[in-house]
Amino acid sequence: MTIYSLYIFDRRIRHCICVYYHDWHRTRRPKSAVEGGILPAVSTAVFAPAADANSSALSGYASPRNTLSSASGIVVAVNEMNSQSTASPLLQAPPSPIAVSSTGLAFDEEVKLVYGVVLSLRNMIKKLSGRYEIVDLSENLPERYKIYRDEQFVNYRTSAYKLHLFETLSGYKFVMLSDPGIESMRLVLRQIYVGPFLEYVVRNPLISMDSKEHGIDNEYFRTSVDRMVRGLSFYL
Amino acid sequence: MAIFGLWVINKAGGLVYQRTFADGLAQLTSNEYLILAGTLHGIHAITSRLSPIPGQCSGAQVIEGETFKLNVLLTLTGTKFVLLTSPAEPTAAIDTLLQKIYTAYSEKVMQNPFHTPEMPIRSEAFDMSLTALVH
Repeated sequence: MTIYSLYIFDRRIRHCICVYYHDWHRTRRPKSAVEGGILPAVSTAVFAPAADANSSALSGYASPRNTLSSASGIVVAVNEMNSQSTASPLLQAPPSPIAVSSTGLAFDEEVKLVYGVVLSLRNMIKKLSGRYEIVDLSENLPERYKIYRDEQFVNYRTSAYKLHLFETLSGYKFVMLSDPGIESMRLVLRQIYVGPFLEYVVRNPLISMDSKEHGIDNEYFRTSVDRMVRGLSFYL
Repeated sequence: MAIFGLWVINKAGGLVYQRTFADGLAQLTSNEYLILAGTLHGIHAITSRLSPIPGQCSGAQVIEGETFKLNVLLTLTGTKFVLLTSPAEPTAAIDTLLQKIYTAYSEKVMQNPFHTPEMPIRSEAFDMSLTALVH
């Protein structure tokens, strides 16, 4: 029983925008994303190392955000590519992967596949169930304030892993890959949303939520998600 | 304890058999069922590629919603049997049932000399053995 990875997708349905990625016991990794295939500040683990030195030298002066990472060593704002090199006091040492093999897919392609599967299954389940009910039956509310609720896709299982989805009302999609033996991760995903996500992302004034340029990765968020997942009873 | 329906999807992703056993899910047109079956066929192929660990990985075997789930049996020849049930249904019981349905399929459909492989199944004998199995 273990946890493999976590993806968070933006609320814009038509575009596949992965804003955060984190992995734990994953022994089969994707290749680095091609340049421009994925937003910066999603995960430091999957970036193309190419042009790193170049861009960090440039953005070190150009980016006003960089002032944040200098003194304290703690980046509360956006985790730029170059902050990978700065030793952070908050993050634990990344798990030393044993015999990591590659999926043969680039990370950006993998993200698209995950999003495609999740979105198609979600629509398929909605269509099949035929459930479409109004939660709030206040009669004098205008149409646009009523809350509709329909069937949610929860998870799927294969022989090697299980994929769980939690979608917030605002449309953020939390996707987690775990061992197939784990019953349900919805509560955990909800906790990540209610705890670290609200605290360090939504309430963080330095993160623009619908940004087309940046993910939501920052050290506090990553650390508390990491701590939460490592504290789970089935994280071994 | 409810079994809502059964789909049989051929190896090309076409829906060759669809039957509803109990109410509880939306009533869709045959065209909509065809689209959903094709989608499921594609998703099934992708899910086997997303494995985070090395080694063989099957496609999705169980897909769960809040009030129902889809149980998929992929046979060696590429035919998929999809059973729509309530989420409380135990996995072991469903697996046996799917195996029995597969047996009925090979006996009543594949052994029928008038049946064209990969084409829609119109067989009273198959219908009857399914009714016996499910109820």
